Amino acid sequence: MDSIIKVDDFSFRYRDAKRCAVRHLDFEVPEGGFLCVVGPNGSGKSTLCNALVGLVPHHFNGKGRGSVRVLGQKVADQTIAQISCNVGFVFQNPFNQLSYTAGTVAEELAYGLGNHGVPRDEMVRRIEQIAGPLHLEGLLDRNPLELSGGQIQRVALGSTLIMNPRVLVLDECTTQLDPLGSEEIFDIVKKLNEDGMTVVMVDHDMERVARCADHVLALSRGNQVAFGTPEEVFGDPALEEHGVDIPDYVRISRTLEDEGLASGPVTLTEGACAERVGKALGR
Amino acid sequence: MSQRPVADDTARDAWLVALNPTAKVASVLVLGLASIVFPSPILGALIVVALFALAAAMGYFRPFAKLMIGFGIPVTLMLLLIQGCYSPQNVTVIADLGFARLGLEGTLYALSTVVTLLTFLGGFYLMNRTTYTGELVADLTERGLPPKAGYLVLASLNVVPQMKRRMATIQEAQVARGLDMGGDIISRVRATVPLLGPVVMSSLADAEERSMMLETHGFHLNERAHTSYVVVRHATADKPLVIASAVVLVLSVAARIASVAGVLPL
Repeated sequence: MDSIIKVDDFSFRYRDAKRCAVRHLDFEVPEGGFLCVVGPNGSGKSTLCNALVGLVPHHFNGKGRGSVRVLGQKVADQTIAQISCNVGFVFQNPFNQLSYTAGTVAEELAYGLGNHGVPRDEMVRRIEQIAGPLHLEGLLDRNPLELSGGQIQRVALGSTLIMNPRVLVLDECTTQLDPLGSEEIFDIVKKLNEDGMTVVMVDHDMERVARCADHVLALSRGNQVAFGTPEEVFGDPALEEHGVDIPDYVRISRTLEDEGLASGPVTLTEGACAERVGKALGR
Repeated sequence: MSQRPVADDTARDAWLVALNPTAKVASVLVLGLASIVFPSPILGALIVVALFALAAAMGYFRPFAKLMIGFGIPVTLMLLLIQGCYSPQNVTVIADLGFARLGLEGTLYALSTVVTLLTFLGGFYLMNRTTYTGELVADLTERGLPPKAGYLVLASLNVVPQMKRRMATIQEAQVARGLDMGGDIISRVRATVPLLGPVVMSSLADAEERSMMLETHGFHLNERAHTSYVVVRHATADKPLVIASAVVLVLSVAARIASVAGVLPL
């Protein structure tokens, strides 16, 4: 399958910063792939997201080398507005996702379309299309400022998805939500990915990452410490030494292996882990 | 930001809501300008009375009267005291207050200023009650206002509630840490001052992220092609309203010229 994202030896140092925020990142994501980016705070996850949507280097000044290509085009050679036609970005704080120009959720959803000059009839069609999957039907006439954090994040996701991006980048977009709200957003994103959208998601819930991602990129202090399938990345015993968290299920299977109670590849899901524990207990 | 008025054709203000927002703004501005161009307390008072009648017909009499009286009485008293008693134009004494004499010229000037202010206030109040800001900006954008200027107008109006919410969040956090927000007004003001720093700093940080959000939503993309989801209303009464406003402005200019020429008393 062709790569929709190609990051080639990419490094970037923000202006006035002493060290590079990211160093020698090198990976590819196939079209329709689901890449989860993991790593401790300050590891460069947000810088990578910003680079995928063009905020680095167009919004944040600094020095960079290597290249980031999305849909075959170098991000550095396009404006953020041009990139926004193909790449959607959902930020961490739902309240900062609002345009603050809309009196209703429907207007908020249509904000980006207005900037792209989409006619109103088409706006109405796309709002109807997007409202269902995001459970926004009953909220379209509500003032977005009066919604809960989870609802606002769904609106933010909707206002990004409504532009029909081929790539969706989510930078810790569920961290300010309660577990239910977080799962709800994640389920929507997973469904979008199953329907063919390429997703790049920064997430701290390692169990969820292991369960859903088909590729994991682990970063630490700006360096790419691992890239591959969840089995490959979380199976690397050196990962925790870099400060990268691992799923509890991996930890359990490793402990069982260390104690000589089980062997084989690490377990990534609840079911696989339970089975491994059951075997270890002789059941 | 004013809420979008509910589309209720049976409401008493339905016809005013249905008017084009720019036509309404133009009419309010013209009415106010006319009262400046020809500053007659009697004509001004008639306009204010007409605005009261309109507010009553729309069903807004109580809040409208509260606003107009709440603003009008203190301003009138203040201007009467300053202009009525101490205006250098005063020649004819109409009352001796003991500590000062009330002059006719200053009093008329004070009254005409008050009615001009009330005309603007009342006009904009009625306009605001019946006009959705988003629709006004969409209309102005259609008429050539740069979309970025329109964004500034709308975002400025919406940032206030956002800052209030942030202030409340920070205040709750500080109260949880033992900050006393009770007591008299001075104590409360003193307790509020330390909150301003975090509110301003966090608002600036929010503005940075919000600007990124705008960029990723095509804010800088081809301004000419900008479209809006908001439907701008146009009514058959728009044109007569604008023409009537223009006539009022022309008449007020003519009246002013006539008064300067000595044909009409000001």
